[in-house]
Amino acid sequence: MLPSNVKILNKLQSLKSTFIKTSIFLSLAAYWGVILVGTFITFN
Amino acid sequence: MEVFLPIAQVFVNPIEILFLSAIVGILSGLFGVGGGFLMTPFLIFLGVPPAYAVANEANNILATSVSGSTTHYLKNTLDYKMGLMIVIGGVIGTSLGIYTFTYFRGIGKIDTVISLAYMYILAIIGTLMLVESLGEIDKAKKNLLIKKKLHVHYWIHGLPFRMRFPKSKLYESAFTPIIIGLLVGFIAAIMGIGGAFILVPAMIYIIKMPTKLVPGTSLFVTIFVSVVVTFLHSFNYGSIDLMLVFMLVIGSIIGVQVGQKIGEKIDSSGLRALLAVLLLVVGIAIAYDSFFAEEIQKETAVVLSTDLNFFSLFIKQFSEEMPFFYGLFSIMFAIFLGVAAAFIRRFVSNFKKKILLKS
Repeated sequence: MLPSNVKILNKLQSLKSTFIKTSIFLSLAAYWGVILVGTFITFN
Repeated sequence: MEVFLPIAQVFVNPIEILFLSAIVGILSGLFGVGGGFLMTPFLIFLGVPPAYAVANEANNILATSVSGSTTHYLKNTLDYKMGLMIVIGGVIGTSLGIYTFTYFRGIGKIDTVISLAYMYILAIIGTLMLVESLGEIDKAKKNLLIKKKLHVHYWIHGLPFRMRFPKSKLYESAFTPIIIGLLVGFIAAIMGIGGAFILVPAMIYIIKMPTKLVPGTSLFVTIFVSVVVTFLHSFNYGSIDLMLVFMLVIGSIIGVQVGQKIGEKIDSSGLRALLAVLLLVVGIAIAYDSFFAEEIQKETAVVLSTDLNFFSLFIKQFSEEMPFFYGLFSIMFAIFLGVAAAFIRRFVSNFKKKILLKS
């Protein structure tokens, strides 16, 4: 395989990993947002 | 098919309870977690009032921890001295927890407090577990090896009254295990859980006990904490329902054995992320139930004493007329089931070995 192709594949792999990590982080942030806002609304 | 619980005053499906407690038992055996923090929310979803779910799950935890602890006693993987130090803190923490429980019950907010406590605890454990397991998967992919420090000292290690713990080969302040026990006891009393998810990491990372002694000692502590929780709930509120406890114990003991067997055959580290997601899902379900679901007036089951069968009537009268002895009986009942399960397991394992040797 050409070195340029390997570089592209590595880049794609790293992009995929970044995308998964960002999605998990955003999901967790949304999750905690729902819980905290819910608690806030309930106690008001 | 539904069964009426004479103390909790609700109808439940015994197959559902047995199935769920077996599933939670399998998860406990597979991942080495207590399971109380999953079973109590499940009981609440099945319609058992939170105050009753907490008390009965504590009694179930007593049976499973007696069973596990007996197995560790037979294997000699238990540090009694360290365990008793944690128990001292645990008993104080449990009493404080019951006092707090009584306060919130008095102002009529106990169900909300239990639901909120569960929601936050599941969210915290789920998040931490997910982050840790994903990190491990990531590290394994990159084949990284991070060199950690041999010893990290926190403020808790500078406390006075240091004493020797020969079995764990430690020279530690007596306050360290007492403070940890206090925290565990407090949470156990309010939430009806064993507290292993706090106790186990604290024993490994803060007390620095040898890993092989941790599960046995943790179960040993859980016995005492759950005895106090069960007794106080039973004596103060008469909320232990032996019919529910029996179903929970049978399901969870079978489930734990199956989970441990599965755990010996497969690598469960990859599945940890799935458990974390399950915890987060249960957490958000409780959040939905507490915040967004419309207030549904649950039908109060009106069952006359004359309609109850012999066992239900016996349990109801025993609980109302002799709360002290009923509390003691529920503790002895759980201990008996736990010890019996441990010995049956040993017998089966010896029997299997004999058959293997013969063949």
